Amino acid sequence: MAAVLGLIIGIVVGVFVRPDIPVVLQPYLPIMVVAALDALLGAARAYFERNFSDKVFVISFFANVITATLLVLLGNQLGVGSQLSTAVIVVLGIRIFSNVSTIRRFIFKG
Amino acid sequence: MNTRQERPTATHSTEPSSSNSGEHSNNPAEEITHKDLLRKISQQRAQDRENDSTQTGAFPVVNKTSKNKLKNSSRTLRSRLASSVLVALLCAMLGYGYVIQINNTDMTYETMSETELTRLISETSMQVDRLKDRKDQLSAQLRSLQAAADKQAQAQKIAEENEAASGILSGRLPAQGEGIIVRITQGTKQMIDPSILFTLIEELRNSGAEVISIDDVRVVTSTYIAQGDGALICDGAMLSTPYLIKAIGDQSNLQNAVNMAGGVGSQLTVKYGAKVSIETSSDVKITEVAHSSDFEYAKIVE
Repeated sequence: MAAVLGLIIGIVVGVFVRPDIPVVLQPYLPIMVVAALDALLGAARAYFERNFSDKVFVISFFANVITATLLVLLGNQLGVGSQLSTAVIVVLGIRIFSNVSTIRRFIFKG
Repeated sequence: MNTRQERPTATHSTEPSSSNSGEHSNNPAEEITHKDLLRKISQQRAQDRENDSTQTGAFPVVNKTSKNKLKNSSRTLRSRLASSVLVALLCAMLGYGYVIQINNTDMTYETMSETELTRLISETSMQVDRLKDRKDQLSAQLRSLQAAADKQAQAQKIAEENEAASGILSGRLPAQGEGIIVRITQGTKQMIDPSILFTLIEELRNSGAEVISIDDVRVVTSTYIAQGDGALICDGAMLSTPYLIKAIGDQSNLQNAVNMAGGVGSQLTVKYGAKVSIETSSDVKITEVAHSSDFEYAKIVE
């Protein structure tokens, strides 16, 4: 409930308030968004499995975002930024798919 | 869970030892009174009952946990609120970032990698080359079109000039300019015949007359003069006296051609007894036009 509410609020605020993203943050924002999406879907899966913990969600959210950002930053420093960001996106995409399939099983089985 | 399990095991372990100690104490002390024994046995049984009861061990623990749960629930009401607010905040951040990233379509070159930049540069230069080629093509086309237009304009100018010249020549257009007007009355000695009139026209032509008309007829190359019934016929039109001949050309030349000694003028006066008057004018208007004929056989040489 809170999650859905927060999502809606964030989107509405994002539509109306459009700040200039700092240039330093620009290449990391998409990765961060995908990582946060993965965390959110993991939380949704945990919610359906009835072992959702807000503490775990908050920690996994930040851990996901920071890890992804750091990986891309590392890749940029090593000169393989685009490849590493692709790798991060692929891994997060796989995780999102598996989470979604689990959620789907919960919804359509039970 | 652990605490609940420990208790029964503890009681069970103490039970055999206590019973053993009771038996040992029974054997040597047979003299002890019956009352004591009974009391001990009843005590032992009560103790055993108490120890054997499985519920007693579980109850306090359950009570404790339930108490704890109650306490926790009262405490977590606030923390749960805080955590849900935190979850909402995180989700808001996610949605916010998502929307911003969607709107952030203008890619700045600073964030692009080296390979992307080189690719972009090569693509752009290729595009520039292509556009230059296209521009060259188009400008060449424009030049050729302009040349064609110039040529056409020139051709049109020449055609217009030709049209004017040939129009005047063929009698399609009315003309004006300096020239003479010759008036010839009917001869007193002899009727004026076509041949003398034709001679007059030829003389005028020879002396450079550009446009000639007799009465209402424009004289062109195909003009004929014939003898009709009591009157001359020129191009199908009846001529009446006095004959009015207009010619555009050099005034003095034309005048000389008519007035020449032994020329047409003197022949007309002497032989035919006609009065010939010549009037020079700087603006002779010949408005009569000849109908152009359609050529049936002649065609333009390509």
